[in-house]
Amino acid sequence: MMRRCLPFAVFVTATLCVFAQSALPRLPDGHPDLQGLWMKSAGGFQGLFIGSLDGTNFAAGGRGGRGAGRGPAVPEYPYTPEAAAERADRLRRGYEDPEAHCHLPGVPRALDQPGGLYPVQIIQDEKSVALLHEAMHDVRIIPTDNSAHPRNYWAWDGDSRGRWEGDTLVVDVSNFNGRTWLDMAANFVDENERVVERFSLVDRDTIQYEATITDPTVFVRPVQMRFTLKRVPAEQQILEYSCLEGERSLQHYTAEDGGKKRREQ
Amino acid sequence: MRLVVAVATLAMLTTADIGQSAGDAKSFVPGRLWDGKTPDFRGIWQVRDTAYLNIEGHAAERGIAASKSIVVDPPDGKIPYKPEALVARQEHYRTRATADPSVRCYQAGVPRATYLATPLQILQSPGNFAIVYQENHAFRVFHPDTRPHFDNTDWWMGDTRYHWEGDTLVADVVAQTDEAWLDQSGNFHSTDVHIVERYQMTGADALEYEARIEDPVVYRRPWTLRTVLYRVKQPGARIVEDECLEDANGVRHHIAPTDPRNLLKSDYTRWKR
Repeated sequence: MMRRCLPFAVFVTATLCVFAQSALPRLPDGHPDLQGLWMKSAGGFQGLFIGSLDGTNFAAGGRGGRGAGRGPAVPEYPYTPEAAAERADRLRRGYEDPEAHCHLPGVPRALDQPGGLYPVQIIQDEKSVALLHEAMHDVRIIPTDNSAHPRNYWAWDGDSRGRWEGDTLVVDVSNFNGRTWLDMAANFVDENERVVERFSLVDRDTIQYEATITDPTVFVRPVQMRFTLKRVPAEQQILEYSCLEGERSLQHYTAEDGGKKRREQ
Repeated sequence: MRLVVAVATLAMLTTADIGQSAGDAKSFVPGRLWDGKTPDFRGIWQVRDTAYLNIEGHAAERGIAASKSIVVDPPDGKIPYKPEALVARQEHYRTRATADPSVRCYQAGVPRATYLATPLQILQSPGNFAIVYQENHAFRVFHPDTRPHFDNTDWWMGDTRYHWEGDTLVADVVAQTDEAWLDQSGNFHSTDVHIVERYQMTGADALEYEARIEDPVVYRRPWTLRTVLYRVKQPGARIVEDECLEDANGVRHHIAPTDPRNLLKSDYTRWKR
């Protein structure tokens, strides 16, 4: 916000910019109030990536995914040669996608869900920011109390610890269990994944989300992802996902055997 | 003399009865959120009994302490099943090792999620109230009852609307699936179940929970269960991720994040399996 305001501020609208910043809703502790029901803006299954794109997004494009043709393309992830081969191999076994088996999506996939489909409810106090995701009824309670990551803890969603840098919530996520994929297109990470997320309330109804993923055994350089969350009108509510309890997801995977067989049943 | 003792005993019984009744005005006044109004129920809570095994009470089993019935109405501690529903319940009991939805790692439903062997966390801010249950990372967002239920489908965790009666949170829950059970013994309800929950702090570290359960399909009359959740006070205590993993036979098992089996290490031989 500040950066965007500055050129104008010098000349005309300094007061407007100051007003826009001070008008952010805040909790008594002075931090921006991120609370509410939020939805990733419409689009494909992947966020808008910074980096070169190879256009092979069969989730959002080509192969009949729900957001066909409208989503941004999958980036060319900077895989190590071994990891690139592994990804190609997994691509043939799309039905192994952990999310198709109703597992927790991991980070940043927890938020990088199909745009316009699954909202997230944020509840915040002076000690934590909690993300209640409709998708996979995933829950992340992020302490903002300067506590450290635990040892001997390996989770699908890793372990999240947050801190405020000015008006931005910065979340450091580690302790992953090495089982998650980043998307339906078999892009993946392992247990060495580390994510730094940045949640910035840019106006009352918009959160800018950024994630920087590092994983030295999978990627040769960090991967960045960025998208916006828009506030959902207050009269709407989060619904229940209950994936496992009524599993229907695998049939959407059109890989040779898995998908077809299930559809015929 | 005998009469005096009898009267005294009667008085004590009466006192005890009143002490347990829902209408008792508890003296404890909880702290407030930063709006200065809303009672502050935030924290990690867990029951200390084993009613999750059988809410009607059960004898001790290997590794599990005995429990009294948490059904407080009717006074005999028994769920007032209709005869045909009781038959179904007994069938559930016989097949519980595989038929319990909890075995398949499903969300527990209401009120079962409250008195599991795992903790829950209450998240709160002025105008917001949600409960996160550790087991199967289930959660419920409580909505103010100024808007009607969203009940055109059946959820595992139901649809919850609430209001405050003094310092007691009163929640109305409908729209639950009939696949959910009330405990590991196969006690159950139908999709017509209507639950009124009451959450009330009776001390700084004690949260009394009451559920009045009405379901004309399954029960002869409404009944009530009551239990107490205690604050989990271990330093650094938190809700940890609870997710199930499939074994080679496709059977799911809870694997704690502290269990090394949950960790899949990246080595290229594994990738090339």
